[in-house]
Amino acid sequence: MRTYILRRLLGIIPTVLMITFVVFVMMRSVPGDPVVSLLGDAYTEEDAVRAREEYGLNKPIIVQYFIWLGKLVRGDWGASILTGRPVLQDVLIRLPVTLELIVLSMGVALLIAVPAAIIGALRQNTWADYTATSVAMIGVSIPEFFIGVLLLLLFSIGLGGLLPSSGWIYLPGTCPTVICGASLWGNAQHVLMPAIALGVGRAAILTRLLRASMLEVIRTEYVTTARAKGLAERPVIFKHALKNALIPTVTVMGLQIGFLIGGAIVVETLFAMPGLGTFGIDAIIARDYQQVQGFALLTALAFVVMNLLVDLTYTFLDPRIRYA
Amino acid sequence: MTKEDDGLVTKTISGGSVGEANLPSTVDVVVGARAKGSVSPFVEGVRRLRRSTTALIGAVIVGILLVVAIFADVLAPQSPIASDQKHMFERPSWDYPLGTDQLGRDMLSRVIHGTRISLLVGVSSVLLALFVGVPFGMIAGFYGGRVDTSIMRVMDLILAFPIYLLAIILMVIFTPTAGLIGTMKVTGAIAIVRIPIYARLVRGSVLSIKEKEYIEASRALGVRDPWILVRHVLPNCLAPIIVTTTLGIATSIIVEATLSFLGLGTQPPTPSWGWDLKANVSFIQANAWLALFPGLAIFVTVLGFNLFGDGLRDALDPRLK
Repeated sequence: MRTYILRRLLGIIPTVLMITFVVFVMMRSVPGDPVVSLLGDAYTEEDAVRAREEYGLNKPIIVQYFIWLGKLVRGDWGASILTGRPVLQDVLIRLPVTLELIVLSMGVALLIAVPAAIIGALRQNTWADYTATSVAMIGVSIPEFFIGVLLLLLFSIGLGGLLPSSGWIYLPGTCPTVICGASLWGNAQHVLMPAIALGVGRAAILTRLLRASMLEVIRTEYVTTARAKGLAERPVIFKHALKNALIPTVTVMGLQIGFLIGGAIVVETLFAMPGLGTFGIDAIIARDYQQVQGFALLTALAFVVMNLLVDLTYTFLDPRIRYA
Repeated sequence: MTKEDDGLVTKTISGGSVGEANLPSTVDVVVGARAKGSVSPFVEGVRRLRRSTTALIGAVIVGILLVVAIFADVLAPQSPIASDQKHMFERPSWDYPLGTDQLGRDMLSRVIHGTRISLLVGVSSVLLALFVGVPFGMIAGFYGGRVDTSIMRVMDLILAFPIYLLAIILMVIFTPTAGLIGTMKVTGAIAIVRIPIYARLVRGSVLSIKEKEYIEASRALGVRDPWILVRHVLPNCLAPIIVTTTLGIATSIIVEATLSFLGLGTQPPTPSWGWDLKANVSFIQANAWLALFPGLAIFVTVLGFNLFGDGLRDALDPRLK
C-alpha cells in the first residue's frame, strides 16, 4: 500500500509538468503579451523591448519554462508582471476561499444526494422515487450560474436582502492579512449561496448515479443474505448496500473535478468572491504569465491529487481492492 | 449479413464518460441482438424509444427549439440587436413580452435568436468532436501497437486537463469575436476538449469487436481494412456513440453558456444566452426578470437534450427494461 501511494505520488510529477508546460506554451501563443498592458498608454517600442528583456520574455519559450521550473523547485513561484506581487502569496490568500467553497458544496451535494438516492432506490417507481429522479434531472440541466442567479433573486432581492449578493468575509483563522474582516456568522452568510449554487448540480449527478448503483446492489445475493440472517434494515442499507454502491459513484465524482474547477470559477465570478477561480480567470484574460502558471500548477495538483484520493477511497469502500 | 450473433452480446465500455455530466461510469450496449425471425435491433430500439415518455418530452422540446432556431428571423418580433434609447428597461408588456434590456433591445427577440448560437455550438461542436474522435478511436483500437499508443497519448494529454481550464485558454488564444466566426471559434474550442471522449469510447468498443468471428470471417474473405472498419466495426459501436452524442450536446450547451458567461463566448452584439445572463445580472436589483429569461432558455434547452438522451440510453440498453 505504501509503495503504491509512493509510486502514484511520483507519477503525479510528469502529469503536472506536462500540464504546466502545455499551459506555458499556450499562453505564450496568445496574441499580445503582458508588457502591452503593463506599459499602457506610455507604450513605446523601446520600453517594450526593455521590459521584455527585464522579464526574460525575449528568451526561447523552452528556456523560459525551465527558468520558471528552476525557481519553482526553490519555492519561488515568480512575481506577477502587472502587479509585482509574489504569485505564491496571492495564491495562498485565495486558496482558503476556494477550498471552503468546494468542501461545503460537496457537503451540500452529499446531504441532498445520499438520502434522495436511498429513498429513490428503496421505493423504486413510487411517487417519492419519481420526485427524486425528476428533481435530479432538473438539477443536472441547470448551469451553476443560473442556480446562483435564482438564489440571488430569492435571498438577496426577494427576501429583502437576507443574504449578501457579493463579496467575502473570511472564516476566522483563514484570514491572511491583518486588515481583512473575519467572523463566523459573516462567513456563513457569504458562503451559503455560492456553496448551494455549486453543490446542487453535483447533488443531482450524485443522486442519479447513486440511485442506479443502489438499485443494482440491493438485488445482489449478499444483501439478501444480510437480510436473511436477520440484520436490521438500517445496517443492511448503510453498511452493506450503500458502501458498495458508492464505488462507481466515487469514480465518476473523481472525473467531475474538472467540472468542479470550472464551476468554482463561474460561481466565484457571479458572487464576486476573492477566490482562486476569479484569480485564474483574471490572470488568463490579462495574460499575466506568472499568475497563470501559478494557477495552472495549483489546478493541476488539485486535479491529480483528487484522482489519487479517489483511487485510495476504493480500498476503504471495498476491502477486496488492494494496491500492491 | 455477417454481423449478427445468435444471442445477446452485452459488453461494457468504461472510461468514455469523462466529460459527461450525466453518463454513468459504464455504458452497456447490446450488439447484434437479433435472434432468428425477430426485428433488427434498430427497429426494436426505435420501438422502445417511442414508448418512453421522457424521450418523447425531450424530443418535443428539442423539436420546438429547432423550429425556433430555424425560423428565428420570422418568429422574433423585433431585431435582437437594434437598440432603442426610448425603451430601456421596459417591464414585460404586450409590445415587449419579456421586457427590454439596458440598451432597449427586445428581450424576447434576443432569447429567440440566442437559440441559434446555443444549438449551433452545441450540435456542431459535438459533431466536430465526433468526426475527429471516432476515426482516431477506431484506428487506435483496430491496429493497436504503436499507432494506438501514439494516438491515445495525445488523447490522454487533453484528458489530463480540467476541461474548463483548457476551454478557457483555447478561447483566449482564439480571441473571442462576434458573428459566425466567433461562433466557430467557440465550437472549435469545445470540440477540442471533447475529441478524446469519443476516441476513448470507440477504442474500447473496437478492442472487443475486432476479436469477433465476423471480423475474422471478413478478413478471411479478403475484405480490405477500411471496408471492415466502416461496414462491420462502426455499425457495432454506434449505440454508445449515439447516446454520448445526445447527452454531449447538453454538456456542450452548458459549456458554451459558461464560456459566454465568463465573457469568452461569442461576443456581442450577437445574442448569446450566457452573455445576456451575465450582462443582466448587473441590473438584477432593478430588473430581476432580465436575468431570468436567458437562464430559463439555457435550462429548458439542456433539459430537452438530457431527457432525450436519457430515453435514448434506456431504449438502446434493454437491460434496464
